[in-house]
Amino acid sequence: MFTQVLQRLCRSIDFVVMLAGYFASFLMPFLAAIVAYEVFSRYFLNHPTIWAFDLSLFLFGYIAALGGAYAQQKKAHINVDILYLKVSPHTRRVFNLFSYSLAIFFLVLVVKLGFEKYEEAIEFDYRTQSEWAPPMFHFWIMMCVASVLFIAQFSRDMVAEIYHLVTGNPLIAPENDDNDEY
Amino acid sequence: ADVSAAEHNWRFGNLYGRGTAFGEIYEDLAKNIETMSDGRIAVQVLYSGEGVGTSGLLGATKSGLITMGAPFQSMHAGELPAGIVEIGLPGGTDDPDELYSLFHEKGWDKVLEKAYGSQGLVWLEPYIQPPVYVLTKEPINSVADFEGLKIRAPGAYGKFLRNLGASPVSLAWSEIYTSLATGVIDGSIGSNMIDHRDGNHVEVAKYMYKLPLAGAQVLPIVVNRSAWKKLPEDLQKVVREATVIHAKEQLEKSRQWESEAVAEMEAKGLQWSPEPSEADKAAWAEAGAGLWDEYSAQDKYSKQLIDILKQQ
Amino acid sequence: MSIELLTGILLLCILVAFALGAPVGLALAGIAMGVGYMTWGDGIFNVIPTTVEATFFSFILLAIPLYIYMGQLLTKSGIGDAMFNASQMVLGKVRGSLAISVICVCSMIGAMVGIIGAGIMTSGSIALRPMLERGYNKRLALGVIMAGGGLGILIPPSIPMIMFAASTQNSVGRMFLAAMVPALITVVLLIAYVVVSCRLNPDRAPITKADFDNQQLSPMAKMRVARDGFLSILLIVVVLGSIISGIATPTESGAIGVVGAILLAIVFKRFKLDMFRAAGLQTGVLVSVAMWIILGASVFSNFHLLMGVQAMVADFTDTLDLPPIMIIIMFQVIMLLLGFIIDEFIIVLMCAPLFTPIAVSLGYDPIWFGVLMIINILIAVQTPPYGFALFYLKGIAPPEVGMGEIYKSVTPFILLNLTVLIICMVFPELVLWLPNLVMN
Ligand code: NA
Ligand code: NA
Repeated sequence: MFTQVLQRLCRSIDFVVMLAGYFASFLMPFLAAIVAYEVFSRYFLNHPTIWAFDLSLFLFGYIAALGGAYAQQKKAHINVDILYLKVSPHTRRVFNLFSYSLAIFFLVLVVKLGFEKYEEAIEFDYRTQSEWAPPMFHFWIMMCVASVLFIAQFSRDMVAEIYHLVTGNPLIAPENDDNDEY
Repeated sequence: ADVSAAEHNWRFGNLYGRGTAFGEIYEDLAKNIETMSDGRIAVQVLYSGEGVGTSGLLGATKSGLITMGAPFQSMHAGELPAGIVEIGLPGGTDDPDELYSLFHEKGWDKVLEKAYGSQGLVWLEPYIQPPVYVLTKEPINSVADFEGLKIRAPGAYGKFLRNLGASPVSLAWSEIYTSLATGVIDGSIGSNMIDHRDGNHVEVAKYMYKLPLAGAQVLPIVVNRSAWKKLPEDLQKVVREATVIHAKEQLEKSRQWESEAVAEMEAKGLQWSPEPSEADKAAWAEAGAGLWDEYSAQDKYSKQLIDILKQQ
Repeated sequence: MSIELLTGILLLCILVAFALGAPVGLALAGIAMGVGYMTWGDGIFNVIPTTVEATFFSFILLAIPLYIYMGQLLTKSGIGDAMFNASQMVLGKVRGSLAISVICVCSMIGAMVGIIGAGIMTSGSIALRPMLERGYNKRLALGVIMAGGGLGILIPPSIPMIMFAASTQNSVGRMFLAAMVPALITVVLLIAYVVVSCRLNPDRAPITKADFDNQQLSPMAKMRVARDGFLSILLIVVVLGSIISGIATPTESGAIGVVGAILLAIVFKRFKLDMFRAAGLQTGVLVSVAMWIILGASVFSNFHLLMGVQAMVADFTDTLDLPPIMIIIMFQVIMLLLGFIIDEFIIVLMCAPLFTPIAVSLGYDPIWFGVLMIINILIAVQTPPYGFALFYLKGIAPPEVGMGEIYKSVTPFILLNLTVLIICMVFPELVLWLPNLVMN
């Protein structure tokens, strides 16, 4: 019963994080298209846009931040694994509990400071420095959402590691997916 | 600075690199604060890229990450719009006496104290830096030549050039050189002549236009409010006095450096576009005047500043 | 707490966290904020939003997603294979031909991009799979990609060179010209190393059936391989051409490359929506990985800089009394050591204005010193434990390749770069000859 609750929780987090990861990746073609359009508009139409610079940077930020949790789900984040690969799976789980706590500590700070920055952005109507001057507040909401998803993914992974350490069995049987393809 | 001995440990961020000429003026300001306070305030100077990015200087001073900052308002146009009016709208005066009177007698100081104060900052003695010029690959024989030119010019300067028929382009500073070289852009503004020299832009674009985009630029020194409040009155006075000395040094040195920079660039092949005609000057002034109302409508402090300007 | 003690504590914490296998970027940021809280108070947390803005809102870094995307599309659309099939046909049964092609292709890509990550990601996603499939020694395959990808900052255009020139008031054009000969020497040495090491250890680069297949094709099939290869190289010409002809900036040219790759995939009749979706997804993950590392590393170094580490370095060099060339060597050593813990942009921003005036006052040419600094950074990003090139390479390597293997794979190539550094140090005219010829 308890196991099932945990499993359901983990699967729900996995699903939401995956959605965010897919959303971020769907923005990629738009990012390339906007930059290419700016080149086209400037060189061939002789009419540089005022919006492509900021819009491409916003999309870049969205892709980079929102994909973080999904990259953790796919265990794609880089670590120095010289010792890590040599220890037993059991020890590795203990190591992970430490690493994930450190990561969550930082991400909680990102959420806290990001939210303060969002409130400031609303209060003073912060915008970018360009002529187009789009508002900044949404960027900070996104940053908070991205970090909360990231925290959720790390917490879910910690729950799974603790479960495995305590019971000796994996919480969710590992799927046979090719690590190279996301 | 001996950090441990001082009563107040300040961090002072600026936008110039370690060892650059302007960087040394800020270093002097820091030293003056230290000696004039008999070592009760210690100031650690942070140069470009040292802990705070160029566009994060204002925010870092607000949050107290750094105690004092020398920001460049164009970088914070979306955060504190009144700064764009403060720095000098295109077509503004370059006479230091007129600017002094505007800031200290006609009331700009009161407005700016409030504008910066509303964001948790204390606004200290501003200082004057040399004007903004536009550098182009081809000579500008008349204002009509700006038509269709792609010029890297952010914010207010971009709008000004658009009024003259040019197409402002957004680029990162580090992309200017290659973009001029390859022809992505036909010209670029720099924050002043020294900036053009430092970027070696004259290697790839030779022609400087005689009329400046802004007569002179006025930049602020800002301090985090809670750090300011921790200073006893005598030390607040010391810091204010140090910024007044700093403003004088900026005025003297920057004039000298500007002429040195121009001479160096001329030695490397800089040429001036032909002398603008009266019609050109009129078109130039008109393009600048068109911006006043636009900026006035955007922000209440900007409006107060521009109202004072209009009364002159 | 003194800055020396603080630096020691930070290094110790990094060592522990890295040993435990913590994610690099988040660990660096977490350590900086933890130590920062204890030494500075909660005010240090304000470094986070300014750093987020500076890294996630940087137009220079925008080259990273665009070039990774281009690289992914090249791989998944079969264009990368086409490129290497063609070069394989040209180079024939030369042992190690694919690794040599990697260096050649990387040099061309290096002439398009100005940062190290994009170079490694692009060339890595094109070249690694074909090499591993053909049974190349894993270390040779990984090392050659890292060394080739690193050419991105040594061959102009180069962002670190622009940053050096800007922060020391030197000519970007001179800097670009000065790097040409050292870059050429590096490319020649890399190819020579591959040729010699493959001749000495033939099993490092086996000549496989694939090589013979390429040779024994029917004339029609050969024509097709040549045409596909030509079209693929045309893409590089388009990207490079868009920069040289002033159509696009080096950053924007990545987007031109994406459009070109899509068009080519359509020409090759390999464009499928599924391929397109997969390329986007993989790009998204790689971009996130890179950017969260950059964010974390920047939070770390911003904290360290706010605490005054730059003053520590300056004081250290001031107090020593050494002959001029020893000071130059010491600068190189300091930068190599800094390269263990911080990234290439920060090294330039911090060391260029600190060291260059001293080098000039000792009678050395600032451009020469700048080129030494760039080669040094090239080494720094490839040296463990903290090196951006290593992380990028780990990001694209097959999952069974551990960090230890990557460390070992780069060793010979780092020694080659070190050789180039020493050659340029001993023979300054190699660096200064071209700029003096062209610009004086
Ligand atoms: Na390059
Ligand atoms: Na390193």
